[in-house]
Amino acid sequence: MVEKHDPQMKNHQMSTWLDDLKQKLNHMDDAEIIEHRIGTGASVHLLFIKTLIDQERLNEAILQPLQRSAGHSVSSCIINSKVSEVISIEDAGQKIMQGFILLYDSVNDQWLGVQLENPLGRAVEPSQTETVIYGAKDSFSEQIDKNITMLRRRLPITTLKTESFTIGSLSKTKVVLMYIDGIINPEFVSLAREKIESVDFDQFLDSAQLAAFIEDHNHTVFPQFLQTDRPDACAYALGEGKLTLLVSNSPFALICPITLFHLFQSPEDYFLRWPVASFLRLMRYGSFIISLTMIPFYVALTTFHYQMVPLPILFVLLESRSKLPFTPFVEGIFMIVTLEIIKEASLRMPTKTSQTLGVIGGIVIGQAAVEAGFASKVLIVLMGISAIAFFLVPNYQMTKSMVLLQVLLLILASFLGLPGIVIGLIGILAHIHALTSLGQPYLAPLSPFYGKDWIDLFIRGPLIWMKTRPNNLKPLQKWRQEKMKK
Amino acid sequence: MIPYKHYGLLAIVSLMWIVGCSSPYVENNMIEEIAPVVFWSIDKGTEGKFKISTLVPPLIKEKKRFLSKEVDLLKQGGKEFNLIYYRELKQGQLRMLLINEELAKEGGIEKLINTILVDPDISMRVYLLIVRGDFDEYIKNQLTKQENQDYFLYRMLKHYEEHNQGEMSIVNIHQFMKMLYSPLKDPIVPVFHADKNNFNYVGTAFFRNDKEVMVTQDVSDEIFQLLDNDHFLKVLAIPKLSISLGRVRSNIRMKLSSDYSSLSLHVGLKGRIEEYQGEKNIQSEEPLEHLIHEIEVYLEEQTSELLKSMQRLKVDPLEVGTHSLKPFSKELTEEQWLKYWGNMKINVDFDIKIQPLINVERLS
Repeated sequence: MVEKHDPQMKNHQMSTWLDDLKQKLNHMDDAEIIEHRIGTGASVHLLFIKTLIDQERLNEAILQPLQRSAGHSVSSCIINSKVSEVISIEDAGQKIMQGFILLYDSVNDQWLGVQLENPLGRAVEPSQTETVIYGAKDSFSEQIDKNITMLRRRLPITTLKTESFTIGSLSKTKVVLMYIDGIINPEFVSLAREKIESVDFDQFLDSAQLAAFIEDHNHTVFPQFLQTDRPDACAYALGEGKLTLLVSNSPFALICPITLFHLFQSPEDYFLRWPVASFLRLMRYGSFIISLTMIPFYVALTTFHYQMVPLPILFVLLESRSKLPFTPFVEGIFMIVTLEIIKEASLRMPTKTSQTLGVIGGIVIGQAAVEAGFASKVLIVLMGISAIAFFLVPNYQMTKSMVLLQVLLLILASFLGLPGIVIGLIGILAHIHALTSLGQPYLAPLSPFYGKDWIDLFIRGPLIWMKTRPNNLKPLQKWRQEKMKK
Repeated sequence: MIPYKHYGLLAIVSLMWIVGCSSPYVENNMIEEIAPVVFWSIDKGTEGKFKISTLVPPLIKEKKRFLSKEVDLLKQGGKEFNLIYYRELKQGQLRMLLINEELAKEGGIEKLINTILVDPDISMRVYLLIVRGDFDEYIKNQLTKQENQDYFLYRMLKHYEEHNQGEMSIVNIHQFMKMLYSPLKDPIVPVFHADKNNFNYVGTAFFRNDKEVMVTQDVSDEIFQLLDNDHFLKVLAIPKLSISLGRVRSNIRMKLSSDYSSLSLHVGLKGRIEEYQGEKNIQSEEPLEHLIHEIEVYLEEQTSELLKSMQRLKVDPLEVGTHSLKPFSKELTEEQWLKYWGNMKINVDFDIKIQPLINVERLS
């Protein structure tokens, strides 16, 4: 079916477009221009980029019907649902680059665009970044339509709304804003809409880039959007009253508004027994604090507050540090940087090589550094605990940010000792307190205080007790239960 | 928009947190540049000086060195040690203050203890010991045999302090000062005997103000452990009666007469016979009862003697004086109490309940 546009907009000299388009497609080897004669003797021009279209479907949906056609209208013999009239030469250029086939119907002096995009893409695969033992194994792919399908299958309701935007002057990236109408606070939707519309940049290759443009605070290390490739996490967030942004060619969706505590929640939390899930969640918070403060704490103690160290531990510390040429601070920085180098290198290398690197790295930092006198045994142990504790935080972006915070605390600890760490932590806390995600407080429900939301904060309370949606999201429908809605 | 009142709250909490943690003005001493001191031993020097000594460093893989100086002031000693030793001596981990008995008998140890106590670097975990004999000689001799002798001493004290084991009267500096300033309790400190090869627990020294006036030893010290210190003894050996009681627990009831002329001390003891080398057949009830009665009489005599010696010297480490406190009445002054205490008639009554570890033939 042909979408009709305003006749006023129509360029009356459409026959001249062919030359203009040929000009545009100059020096493009994969551009094809075919002249096809139909039954009436009239000619139809087909313009397309063969690397962008599905050539088999071109044959089935356009060429064969045209061959057999006896009618006068080209549009009537095209077997495709996505047929639209081309209204300007710019529109024609854009469509051809999006995988459309342009047809010129000389009889009716009409240009048509048929979408026959090549459905190139990988199959639905398990998530690589957020793996779970129990729970759904599918993850988003680079094809945005497939991603929307995955969400729609999880939430088969008419109130699940999608709004599309195109951003990026070069990349023409499609962004889809998804939310459940009637649950989400409309303020979030209008704010997100406004922010996406105001984006002005040439290329968007991933959703993280979009996040950088629409986040409230650009200069913080804390992510204000939850990037996930799990459709179940997105569906759960939508149901809670959050919104999701899907970006074409990116397998990661953005969820917002979020709070700091969302960064410590794993999709698996909701699949495990609640006491187990709560314990694991508390472990994550604990390991976050440990990984941030353990090395700075070591530096503070060995530099300023040896009085606090119990005598048996002091013996160990003294022995381990007695022959080192470096100050605790230099030693700490050295180890943190070394560990980061090894982590980065193992990420960039092929899987098999990275295992070797891990072993060599472990021996180098674990054994040789001690023997060479670069680091003390105690620090190596603390470093190991701290490094492992980092990985307990499920959000990868947060894990990366934490290294910076650790170094900040380390510097403060080396100058001021424990008060330095305390000042650093207060600074971080004050900073988090001032952050917002899509205009919502980042430290909620701790501050501002929402008592009822605590059931899913530090612990993951029993699901049967979670009868209301989080208050800090101010949802239109507070109750999760059908009976309570009325 | 975040309400600004939260920032105020955050600032207050933060300030409290910082103040609570530690002083923001800290010294920058790296751990490899310091040598924590585990003990100070203070002895009488020549011409009214102090002789202070210690071992440095407490490092495991470094040869220990014995340092000793004659000085007028304690802090001066610390400073002079620093000038002859490559690492800075720090008292942050000072765990034991050993005071020579002669010095303790002269009095004036309060000033020494105060010097340690007001030092913000030193924790309250410093144990106080009175040493009879030459501790320096002992520690020097032990250095060749047992390198970490200072640390082992500390571990021994710590071991006997924990869980009220009822073997030694372990006192830390904080407890000593509390007892010193309490009007109705006199301080106690454990006494150790040191010679070239040995360092043994002797008993408990009683102090009047900050001057040692007496030392209880052997059975008297064990009774003191039962009366006041731990109310528990792992073993109470009475050689005179050829019996060892084990796991003895005491329950003390004191009653002062209204005119403070007499004190009734009732001691309920529970324990078990762990060893008996005497003649009696304790498998029969009658000789067993007789033995228990003998123990009671023996302990009553010993306790009376101990209390009498306390009265004679006008020391009250048992806190008997606190029983004079009554609601809505004026508290006795220390002088008044000691006057009453010195002349008080004391009735001691022991009630012993003993579990024999063997079957006893009951009388029908």
